[in-house]
Amino acid sequence: MLRSLDVILLVFLLVTAVGVVRTKDLLGASIIFSAYSFTMAIVWQQLSAPDLALTEAAVGAGVTTVLFLITISRTVRREDE
Amino acid sequence: MSVSELFYKLNVNFNYVVAMTLFIIGLYTLISKPNLIKKFMGLNIMETSIFLFIVSSGAIAGGKAPIFGEGVGPETVFVNPIPQALILTGIVVAMSTTALALSLMIKLYEQCGTLNADKLKELK
Amino acid sequence: MKKGLVVFALFLLWILLVYTVIVLPPMGSPENPTNTHIIPRYLEKGVEEGGAHNLVTGIILNYRGFDTMGEVTVIFVALTCVLAVLGRENILRHTSKAEVSSVEKSVIVKCVVRFLAPFIILFAFYIILHGAESPGGGFQGGAILGASVIIITLTFGFALVAKKLSLKYRVLFESAGPLSFFIAGMVAIFCGQNFLTYLLPCVAHTYQDFVRHLLLIMVEIGIGVGGGAAISSIFLAMEKVEKE
Repeated sequence: MLRSLDVILLVFLLVTAVGVVRTKDLLGASIIFSAYSFTMAIVWQQLSAPDLALTEAAVGAGVTTVLFLITISRTVRREDE
Repeated sequence: MSVSELFYKLNVNFNYVVAMTLFIIGLYTLISKPNLIKKFMGLNIMETSIFLFIVSSGAIAGGKAPIFGEGVGPETVFVNPIPQALILTGIVVAMSTTALALSLMIKLYEQCGTLNADKLKELK
Repeated sequence: MKKGLVVFALFLLWILLVYTVIVLPPMGSPENPTNTHIIPRYLEKGVEEGGAHNLVTGIILNYRGFDTMGEVTVIFVALTCVLAVLGRENILRHTSKAEVSSVEKSVIVKCVVRFLAPFIILFAFYIILHGAESPGGGFQGGAILGASVIIITLTFGFALVAKKLSLKYRVLFESAGPLSFFIAGMVAIFCGQNFLTYLLPCVAHTYQDFVRHLLLIMVEIGIGVGGGAAISSIFLAMEKVEKE
């Protein structure tokens, strides 16, 4: 029934992953990574795994992104430095 | 195997194909990008791709989340709960390993002044 | 040249993996080997044996209790390593990186966080306590609890959190995860059962379910509070800078 939504989400997952790889600015990359995690949370919900969706939204999109942002603020922002 | 069968399989197993592609994207980041933070983003993508693969292998078409509550009869179809239970702890452990690696990177930058793997190789 | 070689090798690997996908059984079919082995029994008796309406929680805490105990210990060890590398924050010597930055925080952010923070913490405890009946549990609630500490620190500064959640108590909270598992296991051992058995025969028959539920809730609270304290301690250790 919602197969087309699944396909759209999975394709968006690929697009955000490529975005993370290709963005030279690490701040932008970590924000795209947060979007990737949120998309992943919706994919978990589509796969009937609400526990995983909760965890991924809190841990992947919230805490991991904050830890990446702290590290970037204390080290380098551009990838090639 | 005929072409139509091939396309049927690729369509049904699209979750697996996406998981494999994400794995390759993460591996490419891990190998070719010199920056350590970027490498760890690639590693995180690899981790989530494997989570996606394992949870997809436990999915059942039209299955409900494995929670017994109201509106659940004897013939309700549930998805497989074991992969979910495995991955739930896996996500949290992935976060804690990332935290450890990032704190090591902060210390490394304080000592060496760079996070570029190629430049770090030249330092003695 | 080198990059082209890497891309080519990874492309070959991708072809191999996609070929594997083609020969895998179709996703979503109930006859797949992953869905036939032990699942019927779990679905039939999981609620009765596991003691939780949410089967995932039942499996995590009961069938795979040892596994989860190891995972909780992994989080604790990761916290220990982070503190060994970066050092614990000290309220007299350190302040947060966000406070010394020149960017001024907007009043909207302060108002929204002041309004939302109690509800976020309440939601975290709701998720921890209702892990047996609805989606949720210790890990999810712990992550939300840690995230609430992060958002309060980033908005109101280091001193407030270090005062309200002082080191004296946080040290105790951090070890709550492994400790609660240990206590639940030892209770079973003192009743003459195997480690991490929740259904205790030494309790009167009518109270067995109640005691099991109590033990499950205790472990959930342990995981949640321990995880939340670990996440906030990792965050505070990474965020601190020396006061000038």
